[in-house]
Amino acid sequence: MKHRLMQWSFDHPKRVFWATGLLCLLALVMFPRLSVDTDPENMLPHQHPARVLHEEIKQRFGLSDMVVLGIVNERHAQGIYNARSLWKLAHISEAALAMEGVIDEDVMSLSLSDNITQGTDGEIAFHWMMRTPPVNDEAAEQIARWIKRLPLLNNTLVSDDQKAAALYIPIVAKDQSYRIYQQLLSVIEELPEGDEQFYITGLPVAEDTFGVEMFKQMAISAPAAGLLIFALMLFFFRSLALVAAPMIVAMATVIITMGAMIGLGFPVHIMSSMIPIFLMPIAVVDSVHLLSEFNDHYRPGMDKTKLAREVVEKLFQPMLFTSITSMVGFASLNTADIPPVRVFGSFVALGIGVAFLLSITLVPAYISSLSDKTLAAMARRVHSDETPNSPLARMLRLLPQFSHRFRYAIIATAIGSLLFSVVGIHNIQINDNPMNWFESEHPIRKADRTLNQHFAGTYEAYLSFSAQQPQENHSELKTILERAPEHIQSRFKTLQANSNDIAETLIDQQMNSSDDDLLWWDDIALAIDRANDEQRLFLQPEYLQYLENVQKALIATGHIGKTNGLVDLLKTVNRELHGGDTSFYQLPDSSQATAQALLTFQSSHRPGDVWHFVTPDYRSSVIWLQLSSGDNQDMSAVLEAMDRWFDNNPPPAGLDIHWSGLTYINVAWQEAMVSGMLESLLSSFVIVAVMMMVLFRSIGWGLIAMLPLSITISLIYGLIGFSGKNYDMPVAVLSALTLGMSIDFAIHFIERCRALMQHYGNWSDVRTAMFEEPGRAISRNAIVIALGFTPLLLAPLVPYQTVGLFLASIMVISCISSLLLIPSIISVLNNFLFAPATLKPHARGELTHE
Amino acid sequence: MNKYLITLISALSACANVLASPSPQDADALKIIQRSNLATVYAGDDGRAQARMLIVDKQGRKQIRQFTLLRRNIQNGGDQQFLLIFSRPSDVARTSFLVDKHPGSDDDRWLYLPGLDLLKRISAGDKRTSFVGSTFFYEDISGRDIHADTYEIVQQDKRAWTLKATPKTPNNVEFSYYHIRIDKQTLLPISADYFDSNNEVYRRLSVLKTAQIQGFPTVVEMKAENLRDGSFSINQLRNVEYGLGLPDSIFNERSLRMPPRKWLRSQ
Repeated sequence: MKHRLMQWSFDHPKRVFWATGLLCLLALVMFPRLSVDTDPENMLPHQHPARVLHEEIKQRFGLSDMVVLGIVNERHAQGIYNARSLWKLAHISEAALAMEGVIDEDVMSLSLSDNITQGTDGEIAFHWMMRTPPVNDEAAEQIARWIKRLPLLNNTLVSDDQKAAALYIPIVAKDQSYRIYQQLLSVIEELPEGDEQFYITGLPVAEDTFGVEMFKQMAISAPAAGLLIFALMLFFFRSLALVAAPMIVAMATVIITMGAMIGLGFPVHIMSSMIPIFLMPIAVVDSVHLLSEFNDHYRPGMDKTKLAREVVEKLFQPMLFTSITSMVGFASLNTADIPPVRVFGSFVALGIGVAFLLSITLVPAYISSLSDKTLAAMARRVHSDETPNSPLARMLRLLPQFSHRFRYAIIATAIGSLLFSVVGIHNIQINDNPMNWFESEHPIRKADRTLNQHFAGTYEAYLSFSAQQPQENHSELKTILERAPEHIQSRFKTLQANSNDIAETLIDQQMNSSDDDLLWWDDIALAIDRANDEQRLFLQPEYLQYLENVQKALIATGHIGKTNGLVDLLKTVNRELHGGDTSFYQLPDSSQATAQALLTFQSSHRPGDVWHFVTPDYRSSVIWLQLSSGDNQDMSAVLEAMDRWFDNNPPPAGLDIHWSGLTYINVAWQEAMVSGMLESLLSSFVIVAVMMMVLFRSIGWGLIAMLPLSITISLIYGLIGFSGKNYDMPVAVLSALTLGMSIDFAIHFIERCRALMQHYGNWSDVRTAMFEEPGRAISRNAIVIALGFTPLLLAPLVPYQTVGLFLASIMVISCISSLLLIPSIISVLNNFLFAPATLKPHARGELTHE
Repeated sequence: MNKYLITLISALSACANVLASPSPQDADALKIIQRSNLATVYAGDDGRAQARMLIVDKQGRKQIRQFTLLRRNIQNGGDQQFLLIFSRPSDVARTSFLVDKHPGSDDDRWLYLPGLDLLKRISAGDKRTSFVGSTFFYEDISGRDIHADTYEIVQQDKRAWTLKATPKTPNNVEFSYYHIRIDKQTLLPISADYFDSNNEVYRRLSVLKTAQIQGFPTVVEMKAENLRDGSFSINQLRNVEYGLGLPDSIFNERSLRMPPRKWLRSQ
């Protein structure tokens, strides 16, 4: 099979080119169908319980994701409370209302807030806080005094230090936020100069903006890395024509894979946008091995086709092994229950397969179609004398001796590094925050920092309570029904049978009833209404008191800047009903009093605000949490602390507790991610180990092959643990890349070792030979990939920087550990390892090379 | 009686201080408004109705408010008294409002909350606040200051006039102007559309049902819609009666605490 495929490629180079070109073209045709999904929420499947609940709670309380705009004035003596700054605030609010995708009635701003206060004659008064901007600074100061008295607004709309005001702009969908962000920026742009600074943040903005910048990076970083790799290869191989081959392989691999993904209808997610960046080094690696080998052996006048064939023959086995192991590494991501990660894993695996096929067909076909003149020119440039003599080659020649003499020290160092790593891994901080995917000087990060310094917090989470199925007592209803005429009774039975909310159904019945029947329906509805009195839990002092305690406990966790809830609203209304006397800042003492206080509040300009805290049936209530940090760690700490608190303070009977909100959702998918990644890493580690043993037909060789990989993975994660860098989404996903890539060098090294052993028959010669062209191929690869991806370090998005850093670390560590540790171990164990091989050289079958 | 619920009209109401030198057109418009106001809000010398208000939020959830409404004219086209007593939801039963309406100046408003045993004056300042959580405004119920708007006829056909009303003090209201359609025969309003500064309709009041009661054309069902979010409320009046001979003495603070049972139930 392999021979036929290669033979065909050598015989028909043109057809190989055509076939590849056609595939690329077909893939490119798919590109316009590209759809984008930048929502990290989609890390969880749509039907994931946490997401379903999150949507349900949003719907139930009319909550929306918010863009947060902050205005800070540090210079004015009255802070933000001055006529000019508030005029700007009002102007921006007005502009926001006119924007598409903004939920007007829920926008929170000083200029759209209602004030509840005492009138001149001690009457209760509802008036707009700031219907028109204040005419002077004294008027602005009056607003400050009002806000101080309204706990729902203080430190939410205006910071406690009075230097900053915020505008909360609810949006219909998160994917609108980048556009709204841009529109807000242009509104700000047109404002007159002043002392104010403007900041825009909020998770939706961060997430949507990330998506936009991610695509820019796909168009900048990936090609930049490609260019640098190209330049590095040119440096090593000194032949533009030759080096074009791996570039073509990489490009074709990326295009075909992405085309297949888009063509099959998968959206490009944050994860899958990284596929090109992952595939490029993998695709380049195989062809660099081929080129390196070819380049080292080619001399002018040689039969290039024969040499190319030899090279491919020699490298086919290790290349197949490395491709399969990498494919397994990425395919194992399918074990995680995270849809974008599965898509990512599957298509990277597919891409690796494509890269392998292209490497063994396109590269040889390409080489053999180059003119002898071109190759001769290359050979002249590279080989001034018989043996390669670059600094790299000279350095590598020191290694056989070094790895032999210091074999025990090297092994000890490896063990030491493993121990070091174990400690580091124990220190790993599992944490993520989509905000931190931007580098620290990004405007969104700056906005996040500044606003969270001034305010109680711009990250939302929600804690909701809902009553279980009610136990209804309908004795009064029964009495009425017994007295009611026949047609009323039968109609009621029909209604009851067809309705899941009889109280609501009866409203329609009342509205539509004939005058004659109306009194009956009024009575029936009233009876049900009364029977439901006990079911309206969140009017009852006992339940409200519990909510108040929960709010106190939330603040006591130390991670929550502020909570807003029904309790705060009720206390405020109660105080104002009692002449604004602060001693009445407390909960009403009966459910009737509570209901009537709420009815009073509903005579304001924003009556619907109540329903953001409690449902109209008063059977479910929600507490809004403002966190000043969106770190999953902090959210998790709140969850843990509250779990303990709920254990000690169980809710009154019949209440269920639910968490939701974007900050919480992030924790939910991170948990899925971390456990999913760990699982897939462990399972693929085992699979790869078994594969190694099977492929090398030896437990010993299989285990040795796993060593550089184990050291690389553990050292990288150990270093992450010590460095204090968070184990976040990108870091988790990169474990698959680490596994897939760091096995490569070990396989090449061992395969070549064993092949050379057949030839030389003794380890010390093999050792020397290993650090000629095989060693050079490995080091060149490491250098090309490690340096080639440094442009990623300049990207403004942290996940891209992380990938760049990882690739460099993977290459350096796995290269060093392969080149030093493996020969040291072979030096120690060579009798054991090679004994059967030297005795029965032909028993190896597949692994035997001429 | 119920007609006073139709705020807008009362807003346009009679006894207005007509503009200094109105154009003939404006004079006609004002006359229409005055006549409509009298027909809609001042029918009979007094009246009573059982009101049911359906409130539907943007998610389609329904609530009901049920109350009895008493009205007494002090002067036709001028001052009026209202007493409004809730019976449902059950936990706000006996909550009551008392209003002394003074067209042209601030109304006097009181609120009684039995659960807190609290009688409280309500500030007359801004009348475009929600009426007990519905999409109706207080002003839709008690009457908009007639000094507030200027009127012109923008359209008329066989059935109705359409008037445009523009507020004199735009800063006090959330609309830029509104269009009101008035039935030529009954003089009752048909609908009112409120426009924002972008000339978009965002709010609509519409009469769903009228009836001839004791010889008075009467609005018995009307709807207030928030066109931006789809929420709406429907106010329905039943058992409408005029000319009951309601005494002045029941429109006082004592009635808030001790509802005048005799006058609340239909005879």
